[in-house]
Amino acid sequence: MASKTNLMRADRVGYVVGGIALIAWALRRPSWVRAGAASVGGWLLYQAYTGRNPMFKPLGIRVNGAPAEVDAAETIVVEEAITISRPRAEVYAFLQRGENLPVLADEAVQITREVENAELAWRATRADRLEHFGSLDLRDAPGGRGTIVSVRLEYVPSGGSLGAAISHLMGRSPQRVLVDKLRRARALLETGELPTTAGQPTGRR
Amino acid sequence: MKAVCWHDKLDVRVERVPDPVILNPRDAIVRVRATAICGSDLHLYGGFVPGMVKGDILGHEFMGEVVEVGSAVKNLQAGDRVVVPFPIACGNCFFCQRELYSLCENSNPNAWMAEKLWGYSPCGIFGYSHLLGGYAGGQAEYARVPFADIGPIKVPDSLSDEQVLFLSDILPTGFMAAENCGIQPGDTVAVWGCGPVGQFAIASAFLLGAERVIAIDRFQERLRLAATALDAEPVDYTEDNVLELLKEMTGGRGPDACIDAVGMEAHAHHSMAFAYDRVKQAMMLETDRPVALREAIQACRSGGTISVAGVYGGMIDKFPAGTLMNRSLTIRTGQTHVQRYMRPLLERIEKGEIDPSFVITHRLALDEAPLAYRMFRDKQDDCIKVVLKP
Repeated sequence: MASKTNLMRADRVGYVVGGIALIAWALRRPSWVRAGAASVGGWLLYQAYTGRNPMFKPLGIRVNGAPAEVDAAETIVVEEAITISRPRAEVYAFLQRGENLPVLADEAVQITREVENAELAWRATRADRLEHFGSLDLRDAPGGRGTIVSVRLEYVPSGGSLGAAISHLMGRSPQRVLVDKLRRARALLETGELPTTAGQPTGRR
Repeated sequence: MKAVCWHDKLDVRVERVPDPVILNPRDAIVRVRATAICGSDLHLYGGFVPGMVKGDILGHEFMGEVVEVGSAVKNLQAGDRVVVPFPIACGNCFFCQRELYSLCENSNPNAWMAEKLWGYSPCGIFGYSHLLGGYAGGQAEYARVPFADIGPIKVPDSLSDEQVLFLSDILPTGFMAAENCGIQPGDTVAVWGCGPVGQFAIASAFLLGAERVIAIDRFQERLRLAATALDAEPVDYTEDNVLELLKEMTGGRGPDACIDAVGMEAHAHHSMAFAYDRVKQAMMLETDRPVALREAIQACRSGGTISVAGVYGGMIDKFPAGTLMNRSLTIRTGQTHVQRYMRPLLERIEKGEIDPSFVITHRLALDEAPLAYRMFRDKQDDCIKVVLKP
């Protein structure tokens, strides 16, 4: 499933159009600035040709060109895992409750698979359009260390893979949302409360 | 209430802020009776720690009286006199269950920030930047204490506030630094930095069976204290070549264990290395100045242990990996797992084995905090440790 390309198909069309436009603009009246623009254009064309943006790997952007859900042509894949020091049945019972499921936003969520104490899968739609689908599986951590929760989400980014990269850089990526949800689950299950500072005094005005 | 607020580099102010309230069932509110400025607060004061926001309430060394508890706190009640440990720890997670409280996985609501810098997040800490949770600190009239059913320890009336205050941080920190040395009979331990943590590391090394302790600093009042109060052998690094002197003092072999009680803002006397690190730090090419750490590694006996109690924040340059590897050295470090040490150390204080109040040189009102920070930073008036009384 993991292929060497990491640009989405729609992106590649955009990269070709953008690359050609930049080079054409540079050729109309050559200058040093426009030569720079032309080389950026060339780089875009090269990426469109190879289907790879070298910046995506360090950013953690992974594209799936053949997702399991038929109504998504391409998706961005997010995978995270967390170990929770509680028994599997308790963790399952908690995550299964609607508000605790590690979904990305308040979308309409439909559970598509349920295996007691082991697996959950779901589809999240907004106005009947698929936003993301995900699954989690639970297994016992070795040595009686609790439960390992592994989550895989695939979402359809607005703005293609470039949009996904930008949201990563801005720090509000689906990855962050997922990690925050899993951490929330761990805190509630292990300590019974969520760590917070909201409402504490400060000298800010 | 009144609280010491961070505003900018070298700018702390005492301000009126709202009183803290219970936010979670396991919280307690403590009326602060005594609080101290820590050497690590000077890293915040000097602007060396990222993630500080104007208005943040400082302070992680404090003790006081419980005035209110949340619904889930059964072991404390209003009126109890308690010392609060600086690491905020839940007591339930993988790390807390292994008594590695400063690594608590559940207490830092801003864990993602720390992960960006350090890979994984340690626990939240009172008044120690948003990287470590952004919790309001204890240099104030009142403080909110999360996980109050796990952290605070009740103290007997027979001991004064000043005798127990340092159970919150620096006494356990000095003790853990010595414990990490794995001291064997006959061992010589060298301690870089004779501030309060260094003093407690020296005292603890002796308590744990060290034969000799060598104290390294440049401030005469600290060296004098280490020599007279604790029987350590003082070395002034501005006068002697530390590496050569240590070699001589230890029969040509080096100290069995070396404690770095200095951290990221180390100084060195007329040294190229210091100038190099200071310039790189100022240019933001290196966050920490590891002058003491490098020297401790270089000085340590082969097969010995370097115990790091001083605080580091980020990256260092010119790390002597070759020395470490070829001479089978061990480095042990960590933010102190204070909760693990409070009870045994309280017992030692009760038995009279140690009276931690010997490091206090200055007692000021909370209102005088800006003066106290300046005095402590610049070591004016032979200042070693400041206690603030709200």
